[in-house]
Amino acid sequence: MFHVLIISLPYLLKGAVVTVWLSLATISLGTLLGFALGTAGAVGPRPLRAAVTAYVFVLRGVPILVVMFLGYYVFPALGYRVDAYVAVGAAMVVYVGAFVSEIVRGAILAVPSGQIAAARSLGMRRGPMLREIVFPQAFRMAIPPLLNTALTTIKQTSYVSVVGAWELSYAAREVVERTLAAFEIFLGVMVLYFIICYPLSVAARHLERRYAFAS
Amino acid sequence: MIAVKGLRKSFGPLTVLDGISFAVAAGEVVVVLGPSGSGKSTMLRCINFLEPYDEGEIRIEGELVGYREAGNGKRTPRPEGEIARFREQVGMVFQSFNLFPHRSAVENVMMGPVHVRGISRKAARETAAGLLAKVGLAEKMDEYPARLSGGQQQRVAIARALAMQPKVMLFDEVTSSLDPELVGEVLLVMRRLAQEGMTMIVVTHEIAFARDVADRIIFMDKGTIVEEGDPREVLLNPRSERLRGFVRRFTGALPES
Amino acid sequence: MDLAPQLVNFVARYVPYLAQGFALTLALAAASVPLSLAWSLAILLPRLSKRHWLAAVAAAYIEVMRNTPLLIQMYLIYFGLPLFNIFLSGFACGVLAITLQHGAFLAEVLRGGVESVSARQWEAARAIGMRNRQAFRLVVLPQAVVKVVPPICNQLIVLVKDTSLVSAIGVMEVTLSAKVIIERTGASYEVFVAVALFYLVMTTALGAGLRVAERRLALRFG
Repeated sequence: MFHVLIISLPYLLKGAVVTVWLSLATISLGTLLGFALGTAGAVGPRPLRAAVTAYVFVLRGVPILVVMFLGYYVFPALGYRVDAYVAVGAAMVVYVGAFVSEIVRGAILAVPSGQIAAARSLGMRRGPMLREIVFPQAFRMAIPPLLNTALTTIKQTSYVSVVGAWELSYAAREVVERTLAAFEIFLGVMVLYFIICYPLSVAARHLERRYAFAS
Repeated sequence: MIAVKGLRKSFGPLTVLDGISFAVAAGEVVVVLGPSGSGKSTMLRCINFLEPYDEGEIRIEGELVGYREAGNGKRTPRPEGEIARFREQVGMVFQSFNLFPHRSAVENVMMGPVHVRGISRKAARETAAGLLAKVGLAEKMDEYPARLSGGQQQRVAIARALAMQPKVMLFDEVTSSLDPELVGEVLLVMRRLAQEGMTMIVVTHEIAFARDVADRIIFMDKGTIVEEGDPREVLLNPRSERLRGFVRRFTGALPES
Repeated sequence: MDLAPQLVNFVARYVPYLAQGFALTLALAAASVPLSLAWSLAILLPRLSKRHWLAAVAAAYIEVMRNTPLLIQMYLIYFGLPLFNIFLSGFACGVLAITLQHGAFLAEVLRGGVESVSARQWEAARAIGMRNRQAFRLVVLPQAVVKVVPPICNQLIVLVKDTSLVSAIGVMEVTLSAKVIIERTGASYEVFVAVALFYLVMTTALGAGLRVAERRLALRFG
């Protein structure tokens, strides 16, 4: 009964490969952006902190799909012709960056003030203190929520199909429009997403529990 | 009224109760003393079946606590509903108060009558107000537990237990987590309750309370009853070395009353 | 800089075209939020059940929801149900998909809350003769809910944003309205700036409302 799915599997797997690449690219670039913004938001000069706060506030309040559409339409309006992947990918990086920045900022601010006092009393200057004392501890705390954000991002790559970029979800819709085998195809695609997501979600939960016990 | 016979209980390899037997008559106040880890709290928790027991029996007015008896001497755990109905007759006050933090004082007291007994809120509120007045908290009726002192919380907890009109009240080290200056107000409420003829089993370290209020003292150690008898007799002339050491440690200079 | 008035002009021009979309998005949110909360409770009970198979089924369901995209779940419902002769409107399918997904997430949050309520509260409830069900409903659950108000607020904000996905199954809520306006009128990204602002106002208002509720609760028995 699943013969349409079996026949379409190679095509869907091609889509899955695009999904994985899109995920890797947006997660890594978004995380980089988020680390920069989050650090600036925690220990940067006041105007920079305010700017980061505003950035995070706006993006957290808007659906990622709307941000993708904005990315899709804003480039041509400004006179740039870019590939659809670049447009929605940029939108995702901007969006993921906001969430990561909030996690990073929170983690840095959560490092106990006693740690900073201790570092100061050793005569450490600001740079080494942040690098040697604050960031390593903050990073540890940030890992589980960062993994959860990555998980969410993988699932959100499916939304780029709504804007018009081809990947697994887009491929699935194409197959369904041709074959009408909606149930088996979408169920099969859910399984593919599950296979991509599950290891990450297990890792996230495992680390969450471990750090919860450690603290 | 309460008869405990050959009560045994272990947690894994650790035997906590090793054959406890005693009886409590209606209106009697029994104080249970003993070092921590002697099993006295576990024994108390068995009486209202918060803790299941392995062997022996606990009977309240002849009825076996927690288990149904089959004819052939075998027994099966009672269904949840039966256990709940039975617990209505046994009031319990805990060391850590355990008030419901999302309900005000009066609502804490009303909780049992309204939701377990099905009494109307209006009637339950009247009774609850009366009970709170009795424990000296008439003006704190509508406060939430977080705004009450430990002593006040514990008095609300006593009122909450009394609201079910229990046949017997169990007190599990109810003053142990209170600041010293708050202990008196709780003990006073318990004293009055004893004078009114309430049947009480009190696990405590308050030796002065035991001496003045108890009809009988039970001294437990390592899961067994070591001594039992009239409070003055037991406290002034302890027969066992263990009780002598315990009394000396906890009294220092016990004030004569 | 006269960017701000310019932006207001841009945005204001499209508000009449978007009005119906706004209304439909609000309706989606208004339907999905209470249904998701109710469904989360319905999953929570079997998830916490002492019967292992029941808890395992609930856990598996939550795991599937956690690890697959809402969009595909929505497609499965919207395109899949007609194959079984079940015909629901796009609106209903959207609400159903959002409820199934967010109910699972909310149930996980609530479970964390229930597990953080002390065992002593269960005991105190039993000691006054309550059955387990009553103890759960009257004593444990209310405390659990209070503890998890902040993460629930966050989840509800995510939920409200996810209503935008219903555009993918042809429901003319605000996101799809914006896309259609662009296609028909040759307008550009500023329509989506208006839409983004609309969502921002909605999620901020929701967040502020929930925070006020949280503070009231905390004041009472924090």
